[in-house]
Amino acid sequence: MKKILLVALLAACMVLTVFAGGAAEAPKTRLIYMTAGDVNMLALGQNVLGPGFQEKYPNVNVTTIHTGPGNAGSQMIFEKLQAEAAAGKKVGDVDVAMVHEIFMKWALEKDLLLSYAKQAETWKYVTSPFAKNALGINIEGYAIPMFHSQTALAYNPDKVKDPPKSYDELKEWVKKNPGKFGYNGIKGGASGVSFVMGWVLASTGKYQKYCITGPFDKAEVATWEPIYKEIKEFNKNVVITGGNVGTLDGLNRGEIWMGPVWVDMFFTNMNEGKLDPKTRMILLEPGMPGQPMHFVIPKNAPNPEMARKFIEYVTSPAVQAKEIVQRFNWYPGIDGSFLKGAIPQETYDKIYKDVTPADLSKKGQSYPLADYYSAMLESYEKWAQ
Amino acid sequence: MGPVNVERALKTGGRKVPPYIYLLFPAVTFMLLMYAWPFLASVGKSFIGPDGRLGLENYVKTAQLYARDVAFTFSVTVFNTLLTAAAAVILAVYFRMRQNGVSRLLAAVLKLPIFIPFVVVSQMMNSFLAPHGLLNVALAQLGLIDLEKPLQLFNFAGLSFGFVWKQIPFALLIVHGGFQMIDNSYIEAARSAGARLPRVVWRVLIPMNKSSILVALVLVYSSIVGTFTLPYMLIGGKVPTTITVDIAHRVGYFRDFGVANALGVCSYVLVLLTAAYYLRTKLREAR
Repeated sequence: MKKILLVALLAACMVLTVFAGGAAEAPKTRLIYMTAGDVNMLALGQNVLGPGFQEKYPNVNVTTIHTGPGNAGSQMIFEKLQAEAAAGKKVGDVDVAMVHEIFMKWALEKDLLLSYAKQAETWKYVTSPFAKNALGINIEGYAIPMFHSQTALAYNPDKVKDPPKSYDELKEWVKKNPGKFGYNGIKGGASGVSFVMGWVLASTGKYQKYCITGPFDKAEVATWEPIYKEIKEFNKNVVITGGNVGTLDGLNRGEIWMGPVWVDMFFTNMNEGKLDPKTRMILLEPGMPGQPMHFVIPKNAPNPEMARKFIEYVTSPAVQAKEIVQRFNWYPGIDGSFLKGAIPQETYDKIYKDVTPADLSKKGQSYPLADYYSAMLESYEKWAQ
Repeated sequence: MGPVNVERALKTGGRKVPPYIYLLFPAVTFMLLMYAWPFLASVGKSFIGPDGRLGLENYVKTAQLYARDVAFTFSVTVFNTLLTAAAAVILAVYFRMRQNGVSRLLAAVLKLPIFIPFVVVSQMMNSFLAPHGLLNVALAQLGLIDLEKPLQLFNFAGLSFGFVWKQIPFALLIVHGGFQMIDNSYIEAARSAGARLPRVVWRVLIPMNKSSILVALVLVYSSIVGTFTLPYMLIGGKVPTTITVDIAHRVGYFRDFGVANALGVCSYVLVLLTAAYYLRTKLREAR
């Protein structure tokens, strides 16, 4: 008897699954969203943007694919698109990609991208110069930034009453306060990398050539030796922390009084109670690098229309305010003024208190062009260590 | 006796390939595909320069920029392997000779770190060893140090502390198992012949347990060479740092697999040194 019951139950289950499967078989569009960046970008796609968009468009299924942090992550996306183009694949696999600035140069040179941005509903909110120019390349129409992240100098106002305002003043300050400035070198995360790049840009005064116009000139590299020797001297009086988070932890525990940090991590740590809320920030003269990350649509995207809708969704003031600014603490990809009503005034005041929109546009630098970027990193290993 | 297939016997030189050899096929293929091939590919690619030509460029750059890091990795590894082995042997002797409630409890507690992943250990050490971390604050409370001038442990010392903390239990597990196999009668015989404890350990326990100590040494050594998280999180941006951090840097920032592979080859050489020694000893034992 028991056996018969069991068999009947199994049969019922099978029948049910078949029917249930059949009922849910309505054709779903699969939207492939490929993202570079740290694991938080994967979390953002998987847990926030994908589900949010699916709620709005129930017949779409967003699949997030993560390639990895830094330019290397963007390069993987580029290699994928380039391989598809080389193979003459008319319909590719990727619908939307989230990439770093350097990707724009690579992809536009190979003509891999769709000019979609100006047709997007949210293009009217985009005012950032980063959306028009990436590392010296005109990208207008091919990209909409999802967010902007910036490095700045964080400091403990109890110990530092009058923070240095420029790299030159910082050098003096460190001499007077040995062991109280900390950064993570160049192997422990990108806030240290930004700090070093900003230093080289400040010392050479060649921001335009290195970051905007180019071209790469190998002879320039040799002229940097004294600059890196100066960094080597500087390093004798500073603490090398254990990473981006290491600098923030050091500030929080009072081990160091000052250090370069990513603004978004600064606020995230503060919101999570891992950083003293008194801690302040300043953007050094003449500037420190930051970067947006851009939405692009490949030319051979299987669902370009849906891809654009996805981008419109993420760059809408509501999502920008709630997810990009409030949840992840980045600066918005669209103009901050459109968010004013959408986020609480205190949040708005908080994120723009120390580093104002004016500071951002004046002192928010781009990263150097790829060749200069690599040369600056390697020069550090050669001369500053 | 059945009819002999002369032709076949001639081909195989009279020997027959036993059919069970074919059973090895899946395992061997897997090993070749998943281990031997990546290993050889990595060694091969380390000799291909950025321009795609065969050469030593990657090694030249490695020598220029990372020689100090290779030396640092080697010294960290050797120091910690020896320290771990010594501590594991001492603890194992204690657990072997004193079998009571306290030692059993200690042995159980000491097994815990084996189950804690390295990344968790790293995060733990990060806040424990920091200049204003738990350790320094505790020492300052006891009046042993001045918190304005705390112990700086994000260096060789701190790294060693982390490695030893994580590796001793693992080595202990292996070594202790070996000691348990030694019959009490040997120890009693040595004792009744007048040997004191150190002598019993040195002349009886350790020689009889040589092979498991050796296994522990080799495993701990190769695991330390290959560890990324602990050095990355403790001393990531410092100079010198370990090979693994440099590999991550070359790949993450430059996508430079050439130099990364050359650095990889350096670590293979470090590991092969012990592997060769281990194999030789094993072969000698087998003879």
